[in-house]
Amino acid sequence: MSQPVLEEIPQPAQAVSAEIKGRTNWELFRSRFVKDKAAMTGAVILVVLVLLALTAPLFAKALDHGPNELFPEMVTEDLGLPKGPNAEFWFGGDQVGRDVFIRTLYGARTSLIVALVATGLATTIGITLGLAGGFRGGAVDTIVSRFVDIVLAMPVILFAIGIAGVCSITKEGCLGGLLQPGFSLVIGIIALFTWPNIARIVRGQVLSLREREFIEASRSLGARPSRIMFRELLPNLVAPIVVYTTLMIPNNILFEAALSYLGVGVPQSTPSWGRMLADATAGSLFTFAWWMMLFPGIFLILAVVSFNLVGDGLRDALGPSER
Amino acid sequence: MGRRRTLRMVGLALAVAMVAAACGGGDNNKGATATTTGGTAQKGGVYRTAMSSFGFTQGFDPTAEYLGLAFDLYGALTRNLVSYKHVAGGAGNTLYPDLAQSLDGVASSDGLTYTFKLKPNVKFGPPVNRAITSKDVEYAFERLNIATLGAGYGTYYYESIKGMDGKAKEAKPISGIETPDDQTIVFHLKQKTSDFLYRLSMAATAPIPSEVAKCFNSKIGGYGRYVISSGPYMLQGSDKLDISSCGAMKPISGYDPTKKMVMVRNPNYDQSTDDLRGNYVDGIDIQVDSNVDDIFNKVLQGTLDGSLYEPPPATIVRQYVTDPSKKQYLHSNSGDRTWFIFMNLSTPPFDDIHVRKAANFVMNKAGILRAWGGTTFGQIATHVMPPSVINDTLGQDFDPYKSANFAGDEAKAKDEMKQSKYDSNKDGVCDASACKGLIMVNRNTPPWTNAEPVVVDSLGKIGIQVKPRELADHYTAVQTVKNQIPIGLDAGWGKDYADPGTFGAPLFGGPNIVPTNNSNYGLIGLTPEKAKDLGIKVPAGMTFPSVDADIANCNKISVEEQAEQRTSCFVDLDKKIMTDVVPWVPFLWAQNVTTTAPSVTKYEFDQFSGYISLTQIAVNNKETVSS
Amino acid sequence: MWRYVVRRLLWVVVVVLIITALTFLIFFVMPPTDPATTFAGKQPTPELIAEIKHQFGLDKPVYVQYALWLKHLVLGDEYGWPGLGFSYVTRTPVRSLLLDRLPITIQLAVGAALIWLCIGIPIGVISAVKRRSAVDRLSMGAALFFVSAPVFWLGLMALWIFWYKLHLLPGTGYVSWTDNFGSWLSHMILPWIVLALLYAAFYARMARGNLLETLGQDYIRTARVKGLPESTVILKHGLRASLTPLVTMFGLDLAGLIGGAVITETVFNLQGVGQWTVQSVFSGDLPAILAVTIVTALAITLMNLVVDIVYAYLDPRVRYA
Repeated sequence: MSQPVLEEIPQPAQAVSAEIKGRTNWELFRSRFVKDKAAMTGAVILVVLVLLALTAPLFAKALDHGPNELFPEMVTEDLGLPKGPNAEFWFGGDQVGRDVFIRTLYGARTSLIVALVATGLATTIGITLGLAGGFRGGAVDTIVSRFVDIVLAMPVILFAIGIAGVCSITKEGCLGGLLQPGFSLVIGIIALFTWPNIARIVRGQVLSLREREFIEASRSLGARPSRIMFRELLPNLVAPIVVYTTLMIPNNILFEAALSYLGVGVPQSTPSWGRMLADATAGSLFTFAWWMMLFPGIFLILAVVSFNLVGDGLRDALGPSER
Repeated sequence: MGRRRTLRMVGLALAVAMVAAACGGGDNNKGATATTTGGTAQKGGVYRTAMSSFGFTQGFDPTAEYLGLAFDLYGALTRNLVSYKHVAGGAGNTLYPDLAQSLDGVASSDGLTYTFKLKPNVKFGPPVNRAITSKDVEYAFERLNIATLGAGYGTYYYESIKGMDGKAKEAKPISGIETPDDQTIVFHLKQKTSDFLYRLSMAATAPIPSEVAKCFNSKIGGYGRYVISSGPYMLQGSDKLDISSCGAMKPISGYDPTKKMVMVRNPNYDQSTDDLRGNYVDGIDIQVDSNVDDIFNKVLQGTLDGSLYEPPPATIVRQYVTDPSKKQYLHSNSGDRTWFIFMNLSTPPFDDIHVRKAANFVMNKAGILRAWGGTTFGQIATHVMPPSVINDTLGQDFDPYKSANFAGDEAKAKDEMKQSKYDSNKDGVCDASACKGLIMVNRNTPPWTNAEPVVVDSLGKIGIQVKPRELADHYTAVQTVKNQIPIGLDAGWGKDYADPGTFGAPLFGGPNIVPTNNSNYGLIGLTPEKAKDLGIKVPAGMTFPSVDADIANCNKISVEEQAEQRTSCFVDLDKKIMTDVVPWVPFLWAQNVTTTAPSVTKYEFDQFSGYISLTQIAVNNKETVSS
Repeated sequence: MWRYVVRRLLWVVVVVLIITALTFLIFFVMPPTDPATTFAGKQPTPELIAEIKHQFGLDKPVYVQYALWLKHLVLGDEYGWPGLGFSYVTRTPVRSLLLDRLPITIQLAVGAALIWLCIGIPIGVISAVKRRSAVDRLSMGAALFFVSAPVFWLGLMALWIFWYKLHLLPGTGYVSWTDNFGSWLSHMILPWIVLALLYAAFYARMARGNLLETLGQDYIRTARVKGLPESTVILKHGLRASLTPLVTMFGLDLAGLIGGAVITETVFNLQGVGQWTVQSVFSGDLPAILAVTIVTALAITLMNLVVDIVYAYLDPRVRYA
């Protein structure tokens, strides 16, 4: 079932609630997806964003400065207000005189890495537990379901800030250096709060699939449970998982942005669109420095929109036909 | 005898006058926006203001409360034996008799006895309504002495007044305080305390009616919602407080800790007994508004008459400085406070003085000032004590780590670093592993977050790579000695009262190092035994520099009688700390900035508390508050 | 059925216990904040720090503190029932702070919920019915935008445009409806709409998707073939199947807003539970943190139960475990 992680990021529930008719035909899927103009637009934008993210260091080299260099000339002398776009700094400067253009490009790396890794982590955990619970049933299922309930009932922001605070004091962070303020902590927090949704979806799908004939056939042939899980069930789950995951990525991008906005995200030396937007809103700076709000904002929305478009397209292409 | 006492008092008055003259008005900082105190004063109107949250440390109970803003509020609600005129600059740090009839001859010749005669017919506000007696003043000290009331600065009294130790279980008469009659109070001191009068100006010593407060002596902060006025204003709704029994008392309606504090005139107040306060406004209305930008927008629109606590963001300041008609409504006054970066001498590489000096050379203080919002918000600091606290006897002219335009001098920094043991190849850049990955604690709000990249960048030039941690509760992190945080950007220190001594022992005294709530961040004066007690590791063979002897010497010089020598002694201490000990990189002597609307026809700044002076401002709006 | 309910209620208790225990673990055992340090002021004596610790109840072992907290919760304390202690920051009972803030959050949540249901679902349905029309494309485009925009950005933009620039609406803050109904309304409109837009967009997409899937089912084809008018087909047969899953989502979304609407409440200065969450964590107000935790956890787990029961009622295919 869907559970908003923060109210602003409701999770897409049962993206595929109806049955999947057997195995999908790759050709059918591809032609459907390619014909979907919206989805293709989204995909193209995504590719561009990924390219920009990958080539950000090249841009930095070309411009001869990175995302953290300070340029006093981009900040006004008297009040410390940022200066706007000019020939050298296409997106203007931020409140400490850093290049907003380079930071926006590097921000793409942060958002994409965090969202992809966190989603990957959450998906792995979610699939594993969802499969185990749905297929094994009984005690395993109860434990997994209860675990899901607990995590879904946890106050997200409270724990995020608390955990971040706890892990910030010592050099090593938490869990023997595994959770350090920065990427690992943010990814860990996002993964922690989003895996239950996948687990629920997977469990639901497995529950409905496991009564199907082909599963029964496998069982009567004497297949081991693990073989059934991985050879028979998993391929049939690919469709809903892929769709759900693709739709979860933009939510996690927004989640990271919200965490950074509240000051619990990545450190300043790692540009993040969310943090840049937070900087733009602090002290209503954006009423003067519109460029600090506009550029990271556009990129953030573009990234989220395009993932959503691709996810929608995947669902339409993989799902049952509609008239 | 009498003549000597008078002369001594004249000496005090002279010293104080010199302090006043030297400190001048609020614009004693070069480049800071000139403050505009003064204007026309008419009675009436309500000062409507707002702040994001009260943030009281102990629930607004005067016995325990320590928030700077609270002192501003108490300045309107209560009166002390001695107090200030609540104006800006040195004149605002001068002591005058408030409840006491006079300060002439209050101290005995040996300085161990202080005798005050109270003005008759100064009354508590409703619902107590009776004259304030010496017993009420003593009661304040009885409360200070109760262990469970957690007096925030009780040490000032435990160490000076006989019979006080802060360990009392309940309110009991203090053996060292005599009240021979309703109008007389006598303090017997344990030893000569030259700043005793300053200690009597603190809000905790204001008279408290026992018939109300006795119900709140078991928990810290309990009395905070029942504060009875002894001053020109009272909490709205005080008259409706039912004091017939402890159980009958309900919190005074005018103060709701999460929503508002409204003050109205105390009907029992007699202006003829008070020449320290103007009391022009009829009421003060403080609302809680968590959106700070909102507060300043409302001031611009005129729905609020002025800000109170938070500094304005740069976008707001810009609107004032670029508009000639608005410029006069932006007020910048000395905050008597230094913001600094501390370095912990117990953690490499900061155990090496060359590294600390290099950090001072390389720091781009101009960049930090810009991040702070520019010269409106302060002046770049070049040593420990803000000029306004030491009578401007030492300003930016003393800068042992000078650089062009305060942008930092990388060459000189590298020269210094070459002499350090952490630079093995002598190229001016630290290459030891001790310089990498150092945790630097910072606050998680602007302007500290904006200053952070500047500091990181500067330190990086000499090879010191820090990992900034932006924490909401940075105090716990840096003030808990066991954490051994190597460096922090979050630190600041302001005066308690106008004596440079308040910038001495707590910050640099060896005996003042405590396991928690420690303000001697550098651990100056740490001894091996103390290090063991505290459970911290120190670099092998390290001897910590100590200035304890210097501090003790300066503290011996009397505040009241030899103010000039005392100041000059502490100035020398400041210089020594900056050249021989170097535990800090001070970067800003802060100004407090307030914006007002045109409705505020007379603006004044309370130098003692560091905020707008509620008892000296005048507004011409026609607002009213119901009593 | 009642056995099921009782079992689920017991489970609610267990979940709340586990979550509050976790909260204790994070904030008391390895605390990012030490209240005794925070509130002790500049130069406290060790006695003062010890006194503060004692009055805050922090001088006991953590499990004892937890047990005491539970005991007060169930049996009440000096401030009333449930016993939530006093706030370190305001020194007032947490219980009265909670009772002050809960109505504001509930008003925000319910108001926004009504708006998003009334906007989101009809738009989704219409889009599904008029598939690929201009209406469909436009509304889905808008929905996509509002689902993708971060809430803090939306809120601040809305505030800037409608208050700061156009002066159409009053600024931030909350006015109680008993004090001034008109002012209450004008202050709530913007936060309601900002919050509702996000969910409306989401529900519109979900409603559209679900309805399209449902309309592709065999039994719908049968109904059409039987000659039923299209409106009956859609409204009577299509909606029921496609909207039932939304019921579950709605319940949980609503519950999540109790304590979850952090950013909206902060941007619009509504002193509700969400804003309190952030403030109490940042100021180290442990009793408040615990109060928020328990309210949030209760809201979600109870709503989980309610939603499951309602769903089972609506969808006869579902059986209780």
